Amino acid sequence: MESVAHAAVARPRVESSTALPWYLITMIFGSTSILVGIMWDISWHISIGRDTFWSPPHAAVYLGGLLAGLSSGVLALKTTFAGSAEEQALTVRLWGFRAPFGAWVAVWGCFAMLVSAPYDNWWHNAYGLDIGDMTPPHLLLISGIVFIQLGVMMIALSLQNRATPGEMKKLGLAHLYAAGLVLAMLIPVHIIEPNRRHGGFFYQAFAAYLPFLVVSMARSSRMRWAATILSAIYMLVIAIIALWVIPLFPAHPKLGPVNMAITHMAASPFPLLVVFPALAVDFFLQRREGKRAGWLDAAMIGVAFFVIFFIVHWYFAIFQLSPAARNWFFAGDRFYSYAHRPGPHHYQFWWPKEDPMTLQIFGLSVLWSILSTRVGLWWGQWMSKVQR
Amino acid sequence: MSAMRRSLPLLALALAASLVLAAAPARAHVGSPNIFYDGDAGPYPVRVIVRPPGVVPGLAEVTVRVRDGRKADQVTIQPLQYKDGLKGAPAPEPAATVPGAPDVWSDALWLMSSGSFSVRIGVQGADGEGSVVVPVPAVRSQVLGMGKGLGGLLAVLGLFLIVGAVSIVGVAVREASLPPGEAIDGRRRRRARWTAAFAAVLFALIVWGGNAWWNAVDRQVRQKLFKPFAVHTATRTEAGRPVLTLAVDDSSSKEWVPLIPDHGKLMHMFVLREPGLDAFAHLHPVAQGKEQKNFRAALPPLPAGTYRVYGDIVDENGFAQTLVGRVEIPAAAAVEPQGGIALDPDDSWHASEPLRQASTAAGPKVSRLADGGTLLWHQEPLVANQETTLRFEVRGPDGQAARLEPYMGMLSHAVITRDDGQVFVHLHPMGTVNMAAQKVFVESASGAAKAGTAAMPGMQGMDHSAMAGMDHSSSGGTGGTSVLSFPYEFPQPGHYRLWVQVKSQGRILTGVFDTDVAQGGLDPL
Repeated sequence: MESVAHAAVARPRVESSTALPWYLITMIFGSTSILVGIMWDISWHISIGRDTFWSPPHAAVYLGGLLAGLSSGVLALKTTFAGSAEEQALTVRLWGFRAPFGAWVAVWGCFAMLVSAPYDNWWHNAYGLDIGDMTPPHLLLISGIVFIQLGVMMIALSLQNRATPGEMKKLGLAHLYAAGLVLAMLIPVHIIEPNRRHGGFFYQAFAAYLPFLVVSMARSSRMRWAATILSAIYMLVIAIIALWVIPLFPAHPKLGPVNMAITHMAASPFPLLVVFPALAVDFFLQRREGKRAGWLDAAMIGVAFFVIFFIVHWYFAIFQLSPAARNWFFAGDRFYSYAHRPGPHHYQFWWPKEDPMTLQIFGLSVLWSILSTRVGLWWGQWMSKVQR
Repeated sequence: MSAMRRSLPLLALALAASLVLAAAPARAHVGSPNIFYDGDAGPYPVRVIVRPPGVVPGLAEVTVRVRDGRKADQVTIQPLQYKDGLKGAPAPEPAATVPGAPDVWSDALWLMSSGSFSVRIGVQGADGEGSVVVPVPAVRSQVLGMGKGLGGLLAVLGLFLIVGAVSIVGVAVREASLPPGEAIDGRRRRRARWTAAFAAVLFALIVWGGNAWWNAVDRQVRQKLFKPFAVHTATRTEAGRPVLTLAVDDSSSKEWVPLIPDHGKLMHMFVLREPGLDAFAHLHPVAQGKEQKNFRAALPPLPAGTYRVYGDIVDENGFAQTLVGRVEIPAAAAVEPQGGIALDPDDSWHASEPLRQASTAAGPKVSRLADGGTLLWHQEPLVANQETTLRFEVRGPDGQAARLEPYMGMLSHAVITRDDGQVFVHLHPMGTVNMAAQKVFVESASGAAKAGTAAMPGMQGMDHSAMAGMDHSSSGGTGGTSVLSFPYEFPQPGHYRLWVQVKSQGRILTGVFDTDVAQGGLDPL
C-alpha cells in the first residue's frame, strides 16, 4: 500500500536513472573506509600493539568519516544556497539549512567523531590508554562512526524510497550495501569467537539485537531478498577485509609480553552466518509485502530467526574449532593477539560451567528474538516511509 | 580528590563536567621521576635518559647519547617486563637520531601495565655490539587536569552535539517521511515537538550517566595512583643509644614483595633536619624479622629537631621506591652512647649551615670537608627539566687532588632535595638507576637462575661500574681519580640542597651545596 502511494507522488527528477548521485558514492566510499580502518585497527592492536593517534588505521577511519561528513555538509550548503525548489523539496530543514535527513545524521556523526578526538587525547593523557575498556570518549567516537554509517544508509534509503522502477535495483543495492556495513559495524568481532558459541551469553546477546537490525533493514528495503543480501554483504565484506586481505601483510608485535609468534596481521573470527536466519526473515517478509506486520509476524520471524541462528552457529563452531578450519579461509585460530598464551583452549569451548547454554536460556533467547523482531518491524516500517 | 567538576544544567554537561582535575605530584623517587644512566653498553659509553609517562599505559621517552666521540650505526630499544624477560619481549626497535645531534638517539616506548619494567639499549657500530639494561618502574603517578580552554571548548561542542541530536530527532518525525512537496501539518509538528522533548530527556539521562561513569573512572584511577608504602617512624633509647625505628605500614599485604640488598644494604635511609636542612645522615637500618617490614638504625649524634626520613628500598622484582616519613629526634640523641646496637660502618652524618638562597649562575662553589680538604662544584646554569651533568672535584687537605675510594661500591653518593621536600633523589655517578634493580633485570633478561650469577652487559662487575661517570682524563694525587660527575635533570625550579659523599683515606666525607634552579620553558608534569 505504501509503495503504491509513493509511486503516485509526482517526483522531481534530479538524478539520471543510470548513475548514483555523487554524494551517495562518496558517502558509501567513506563508510567503507571507516569499516576497513576499524578492522585494520583491531588487527593492528592485536598483532602490533599500540601506536600513536596517527596510525594508518586511524587515518582510514577519520578520512572515511570526514569524507562522509564533508559530502553531507557540501550537499547541505549546495542544496540550501544553490538548490532548485524541486531539490529543496527532497530535503528536510534543520537550523535554516536544507539537506536530506541522512546527511544531517552523517554530519552529526562526523562532528561527534571530531569532538571525540581531543576528548580522547586528553583522556589518555589523564588516565592512560584504555586496554579493552570502553570509555566515554570512545563511546562518543563509536557513536559518531555508527551515525555516519546510519546516515549513509538513510540517504540511500530515501533515494530508494523515491526511485523509479528503472533505478530501483541500483539504489536498492546501494541501500543494502550501506546496511551491510552498519551490520558489520554493530557485530563486534570481540564476542564472536567460535569458542563462545556453546555458551548462553553469545546466543542471548545476539538474539536481543541481531533480529532488530536485520528485520528493520530488510523491512525498509524494496529488494526481494533484502535480509539475505545485506547479510551476505556483511559476511563478504568482513571476510574479505579482515580474513583474506589484512592477514596478508607482515607484522611483528611492538609490545610485550609476546606469547604468540606473530608474523602477519591477525585475522578476525569468521563472520556470523547471518545469511541463514536472514533467509527465513525474507521468506516471512515476502508474505507481508505491502501489508502491516504485527506481533504474529514478529513471533514467527523471531522464532525462526533464533532457531536457525542457534543450529547453524552451534554446529559451525564445532567445525571452526577443528583442524579443518585452521586455514586462511576460515581463520579458525588466527585471531589471537600476541599476548595470548597458546594452548589447547584455542580449540575448546570456553566457560562451559560459568556460561552454559541451557533450555531456559534458549527459551529466553527466543523471547528476546521475538521482541527484537517486533521492534525491528516497527522501525523498518518507519524507515520504509523516509522520503527525504 | 580535587576534581573540580561541574554539571551544567540539563544537557551540556558530561563534556562540560569534569573539566579541571588537579594534578597530583609524582611519588616515585619523590618528585624526580626521570631516570638517568651513565655507563657502558659494551664498548660504547652511553647516557640513557628515560622519561616515564605519568600514566600507565603510556609512552616513555627514551634518549640515548653515545658519548666520548664513539660512533654508533644503530641504537635499539626494547622494553622488558620483569616476569617475561627477553623471552616475552617484543623485537628491539631501532631508535632515530635527533636532527642536528647525530650522537643522540631517541624513541618513544609504550609501558603497558604498572610494575617493574626495564629498557634494554642495544648499540651497534664499528666497535661491535653492546647492550645495557636500565630499570624503569612503570607507575601511574598523576592525573592530568583539564585546562579551562579545553574544558570550555568541549563543553560548547558537547552542547552543540546534544542540541543537534535533539533537532535531528525532531526533524525525523516532522519531515523525513513527508512526501516531497507536501506541507508539514500541525499534527506532525506536535508529534515532532513531543518526540524532541522526549529525546532531550533521554539525552540528559545519557549525559548524566556519562558523567557518573567519568567520575567513577576518575575515582578509580586516583585510588590506584602509585603511593610508596606508608611508614611509622619513631625514636627510642636502647641501652643508652638513640635508635630510630621505621615500620612499613603494609595494609595491602598482597603487594609486598621481599626486598633485596642494594650496595649490600636492604635500606638506604636519609634523615634531613627541617626546615633548614642543616643536619644530614645517611644510615643503613637493619630489618627485624622475616618479613623485612620493621627496620632499626642506631642514630648518630644529630642535633634535636624534626627530620624528614627517606628510605630507598628495592624488591625482588626490581621495583625501587622511596619511603617517606618524618621523625622527631630528641636532644638526648646528642649524648654519647653506652653500648646497644652499633652504627653501620657505612653510616655517615653531617651538620652544616641552614639552606640559603643561592645563585643559579654558573661558576665554581666550594664546600669544606671534614678532613680539611675541599669539594669543588663546577656549577653550570641549572634550569628545570633540562639535562645537566653535575661535576665535582675533590681536593685533600694539602690542596692536591684527593684519591677516592669506593664508598659502598660507588665512587660517590649524592642526595638532592628541594627545600620543601617535594623533590628527593639519591644519585650515583652512574645516575638515578638503582643497581640492585638493574641486576634483577639483567638476570631476568639473560634467564639466569639466581641473583648474583649473571654478568651485567656493559657493567663488568660492580666495582668497575662504580667508576661509571668518572672522568678518566683526570687523575688524583696518587694515581686515583678526584673528579666526579652525576647525570641529572632538576624536575622543578626552586631552592635545592645537595650533599655529595665520597670516601678518602678510609673516611667518609660530605660536601654540602645550595643552589637555585630556574624555571624552564616547559614543565612536562
